[in-house]
Order: sequence, then C-alpha cells, then structure tokens
Amino acid sequence: MITELRRLLTLQQRPGLENRAAPLPLGIPAIDEVLGGGLLRGALHEIAALGEPHIAAAAGFALGLAGHHGKSTVFWIAEEMALAESGAPHGAGLDAIGLAPERLVMVSVAHRRDLLWAMEEALRSRAVCAVIGEMRGGRIDEVAVRRLSLSAADSGALGLLLRATPPNDASTAATRWIVGAALSVTSQCPGAPRFVVHLARNRYGPLGSWILEWSDSDERFILPTHAQPVAAPALNRSHRQVA
Amino acid sequence: MLSLWLRRLSTDRIARLHKNSPPFHNAGRSERALVVAGKRGNAEVLIAIDDAAERLGLAPGLALAQARAMHPGIDAVPEDAEADAALLESIADWCLRYTPLVACDLPDSLLLDISGCAHLYSGERELVVDLSGRLADAGFAYSLTIAGTIGAAWAAAHYGEPASYAGGEELALLAPLPLSALRLPPATVSGLARVGLKRIGDIAGLPRAPLTARFGSEVLRQLDRALGHEQEPLTPRLPVAPYLAEQRFPEPIACEEDVLAITARLARRLQFALERRGDGARRIELTLFRTDGAVRRIAAGTSRPLRNPDDICALFVERLAALGDALDPGFGFDMARLSVIVAEPCPSEQIGIVGAEDAAELCRLVDRLSARLGARRVRRLMAQDSHIPELAEAGLPAQDVNGDAGWNAFRQYREQANLPPRPLRLLARPEPIEAVAEVPDGPPLRFRWRRALHEVIAAEGPERIEGAWWSEHGGPARDYFRVEDKSGLRFWLFRAGLYRDLAQGTAAPSWFLHGTFA
Repeated sequence: MITELRRLLTLQQRPGLENRAAPLPLGIPAIDEVLGGGLLRGALHEIAALGEPHIAAAAGFALGLAGHHGKSTVFWIAEEMALAESGAPHGAGLDAIGLAPERLVMVSVAHRRDLLWAMEEALRSRAVCAVIGEMRGGRIDEVAVRRLSLSAADSGALGLLLRATPPNDASTAATRWIVGAALSVTSQCPGAPRFVVHLARNRYGPLGSWILEWSDSDERFILPTHAQPVAAPALNRSHRQVA
Repeated sequence: MLSLWLRRLSTDRIARLHKNSPPFHNAGRSERALVVAGKRGNAEVLIAIDDAAERLGLAPGLALAQARAMHPGIDAVPEDAEADAALLESIADWCLRYTPLVACDLPDSLLLDISGCAHLYSGERELVVDLSGRLADAGFAYSLTIAGTIGAAWAAAHYGEPASYAGGEELALLAPLPLSALRLPPATVSGLARVGLKRIGDIAGLPRAPLTARFGSEVLRQLDRALGHEQEPLTPRLPVAPYLAEQRFPEPIACEEDVLAITARLARRLQFALERRGDGARRIELTLFRTDGAVRRIAAGTSRPLRNPDDICALFVERLAALGDALDPGFGFDMARLSVIVAEPCPSEQIGIVGAEDAAELCRLVDRLSARLGARRVRRLMAQDSHIPELAEAGLPAQDVNGDAGWNAFRQYREQANLPPRPLRLLARPEPIEAVAEVPDGPPLRFRWRRALHEVIAAEGPERIEGAWWSEHGGPARDYFRVEDKSGLRFWLFRAGLYRDLAQGTAAPSWFLHGTFA
C-alpha cells in the first residue's frame, strides 16, 4: 500500500513524468516499429522541407507531432525572415492539424543566436510540451544541437527543428525527417493534409519513406487508404463547388 | 515646490559640446560671445545668449544682423529647439534622484515637488546645495527657488534673487517682483502697466471685481495660485510609481553583477511593501543614475502580478543581457531605484497545486523571453472580429493575453457559417501572381508565384469575401480558391475584384497568393 501511495505521490508532483520516458507512438505500426516504439520524447528531432515551397507541409507535420504530444503549450520560435518569407502561422488554420490556437505561443527572433537561446529556455521549462524552432537556412552548430537535446532531456519536452531545405550536415538530433506535400486530390478537390515523409536519419534504427495523411476524426496521422469511397461523407462539404 | 530655471540652456548645451575639443577650448573660447539665432517671422533674431554676450550688451530678440554689426566677433549658432528639449528631459530624468515628481516647464525650466523628500538630504538647504553643486559641475547656469506654490517658486526663480526661500511668506517674496512673473500673457502685462500696475504688490491689495472685469479672470487666478489660495496641479513628466525602493552608493558601481545584486536587494524591499497591500507588479522599472548625470531606465513587463524577488531579478538578468554594452556604466552608477510602475492585486496562492505551478512556470518563461527579446516578439494569436483574413486575427504580446483569446467564439462561428478550411500559414501581404483561368470566374489553370510555375490539378471554391465596403480603403471583393498543384502543394489564392463589377475598359482583376496549406 505504501508503494502504491508513493507512486501516486510522484504522479502528483511531476505530471506526465511516467509517460515522458516512453516514446510517443504515432499510431502507425510500420513507423512505430522503425522508431522503436515511437518518436523519442525529451529529444531533438529535425524536420526539413523537401524544398522551399514545401515548408508549409513540413510545418504542418511538425505541428501535428507537437499537438499530438501533450495538452500544454506549444512554442513556435522562428526567425523573422522565415515568417516573412513563408508566412506566419494562421490560427484559424491550426485546428485543421490538431493544434488549438490557444495552445500556441509564437516567438519571433532576429538572430540565429536568439533562436537557439529561446529554444533552449523553452525546452527547459516543464510547462511546455513541444518547441518548434524554425530556421531559414544555413548551417547549425553541432554544439548547439547537442545543448538543445540535453535541455529537452531535462524536461521531457519534444524539440523540433524546422529547416527550409534538406540539410546534408551531420547532426546529433535523434531523427531527421524530410517532409514534402503529397497529392491529396479526392473527387477533384484538394483533400486532407497529406505528406510524403522520408525518415532520413534515425539514431536507433532503420530508415523509411511513407505517405501520411492527417486524419481530423482520429486526431493523428494515418496511412491514407485509397480504398475509401471517392466521395467520403466526411469530406463532402456543402459549400464545395467544383469549377 | 522647487523651481529650477536653466537660464542659459541653449548656450550651455553648445558650450558643453565644445568643452572637450581642445582647439576651441584653447583658442580662448570663453572670450568669444556665443549667441543662438533663429527665424522669428521673417527676421533672424537672437534667441539665447551667453554671459559674455550679455556683457557686450546684447539681448534676446535683437536682430542677428544688428548684433553682428555691433560685435563682429560673436559666434552665432542656429537654434535647435529639439536638442534643447531633449537636454531638458535628460536633466529632468536626472532630477528624479531628488523626487519622483518632476515636471518639464518648456522651454527651459523644471519643477520639482520636493515635499517629503528634502529630509533625505537632511533639509531643503542641503538638497539645494547638492543640486546646485552638481549643476555647476555640469556647466549649467541656473537659478532655483523653493516656495510653497508652483507660481511663487517660478516667479522667484525667474525674477527674484537666486536663493532658497521657505514657504509661508509668498506675498513678501512676490510683492517686489514684476507682473510678468505671474506667467501672464504679454498683452495683459502691458495693459496693466498702462494703468500703473507694474509689481505684484500693486495688484495684491486691489478690489477683485474691477480688476477681473477689466483684465479677465486670468490675472487673479494666477495671483491666487502663486499665493496658495488656489491649487495648481503639477503634471509629472513620468507617471509616479506606486511602489519604489532606492539605494545610493558611496562608491559608484559599474559591473553587471553589482547591478543585479542591488536589484535583488531592492526587490526584497519592495516585496514587503507589495505584500502589505496585497499587490503584485505588472511592470517594473530599474533606474540607474550614472555619476556624470546620464540616467538609464530599464523596464520589464510581467504576465502576472509578481512579487517574488527571485522572479523580478530573473527578468532583469535577461534585460541586462539583451542590453549588453548598451548599458554603458561609464564611471559607474551612484544610485539605483527600482519602481513598480503598474501594480495589480495579486491573490495569495496556495503553493503546491499542480496546475497552478505549471501556469506559473509558463508565465516565468514568457516573462523571461519577453524581457530578453521584447514583449512584441512573444505573442499569442487572438481571434479578431473581422471577416477579412489578414485582419481576422492578431498576434498580441503573450503577457497581455489571457483565456481563450476569442477562439471559442470563432469556432462557433465557423461551425455556423460552415467556413471552408483556412491555410496553415498566411503571408503578411498577399503576393501578386500571374494566373491563367479557364473561365473568368473560375479558378486558375496555372499560375506563377516567385518565378515558379504551378499547374493546378484541383481547386475548391470560390469562397467570396467582401472587402470592407463601408470604408474607402476597403478594397474589392475577393474570390478565394484552395488549389492543389501537380506536386501536391496546396495554396490559398484569390482574385481581387469581380468580373461583374468591371467597368468597360478597365483591366482584368488581378490574382494574389495569400497562404499555404499543409
């Protein structure tokens, strides 16, 4: 009985500590197996866009992971240039990828140095479930990545480094993903957010490539099935007009 | 009330600029008269003169050409009213070391409410000695007076003997002074002079009604104010802090660690005061007085009422780190003041509740980031009451946003209006694209954005969003389309203007790209 009480006590003191140790399953067996159970919490993951036009897709993938990870605040820290070039996050569109806009805190920074500092501060905090750091281009210092990984390990938060182009430098991040947009057309209309995802680096296992779709009803990524009826009722919005 | 008149503000400013440049200094600069000239009406006239010029018999208001003819050797400098005002403000900041209530009285005077502050210098006379010693060291000509009212202090500083007067004998002090010392318009003064009333003593005993009937109520009001029969409000230059703590140092401090240590000490003192009244700080300012008179004001905001000294200190760690070399202690700071500018009731919290602790942790993080990067760079999105996409939401400082920020109302509206999807990222300004549409009102077949050609394979829309038709700058109606191109990229495009609205001969509506979908 005492051990049971002790367990309850630790649960009360550090909420989510027990879950944080376990990896974050994406809910897709093929990917979870490659990742060894799921995405590692308390670690830094790199998400790079396939090319500059694919930044929105990469951001969507990062937000989907971040929103999926917990229920508390998500920090999106971006270089000002990145926001000016690729657009600022639009609250009304965040729901579509599973993140309530109230949960997002936006930080814009002028320098790379400030970006790394702000990410580190945010990752250290227990009140934050995920931190997305968006950098425009160029290299990132390996020491900085290591520092970010360590800060994430302290709190168990998910660190996501969003990059505009596929990098070819070495990295100490746990995984590196290269994400692009995938064709989503159903019944001649753009459909749900769909991504082509390459796992380009994985410190703990093999690599892979998948096409993922964000499922609004399941609130997680799924492997799109083409066997669906062409006009699925959930997607049949009345305002839709096909020109 | 202490009135400080800097008699030679403009010329002292210029003299101070040249003080450190040897050629000027050595070339017998003090012998050459310095005048400041500016345009009044169509003539260049003298605005301000220095002591040497006064000895030559020059006076403000004289035409510059005439002054040059009399004394070819004078130095004439064009006037710079803005620099004078800036200098006066910096002196006002510096005077904050004596009292928090300092008002600028343009163009060249300051008013300090020193009631209740003089004992810090062990008396009014000691305060005056300290103040005048520092002003003289800085190279300013001044004249200052302490009196019970603003009017009396001003009058005595500008027209009376430059000395300190105690309150209570305003009439005796004012009686021999000319009427212009009452801050009356020149026309009234000359009108009074025409009937033989030249000194304040002349009107003090006169029957009030005839005086008011002839010269207006202003004359007696100013007299009443000067004599203390009527209250005159002082408008301080800076809002007065409800809480403050300060510390003077016998030896100036210069290094950042010392500044932080003193901040911590002051914050602990403030904590007691805040706790007693159940308040917490929302905005805190650290004022550092440099030995040479410069003043550094460093402010930090918080997202919830704060009174824990460690939290307050943590904010200034970031502010000082962000300032870096801009702090520039010079020869050191000899006084520091920590003031709570905005205070709010702060409910006492029970320690140890899990949710509250996480919320407090988040506030601490937001405060730290805001202090280092600036409050505007740490934002939360807030839904706004507008249907135009770029106005439908705003990024407000995260320190100021509480609760759901309007998103619940927005979700309800989206449900009811059955709004089509919105993009994940919205460009701050819609970017023009070259688009080719199959039918005039339809979605584009292909378009070129940032030099890349996109072939549209699917489109959804249009969603028509009217411009703000009630405003002149509302812009045309927009037809939004969600399109997907060959490589799977999804965009939010719109056509500005409708074909049916086109007048004959005008150009076709243009296309813009406004956002991107995941």
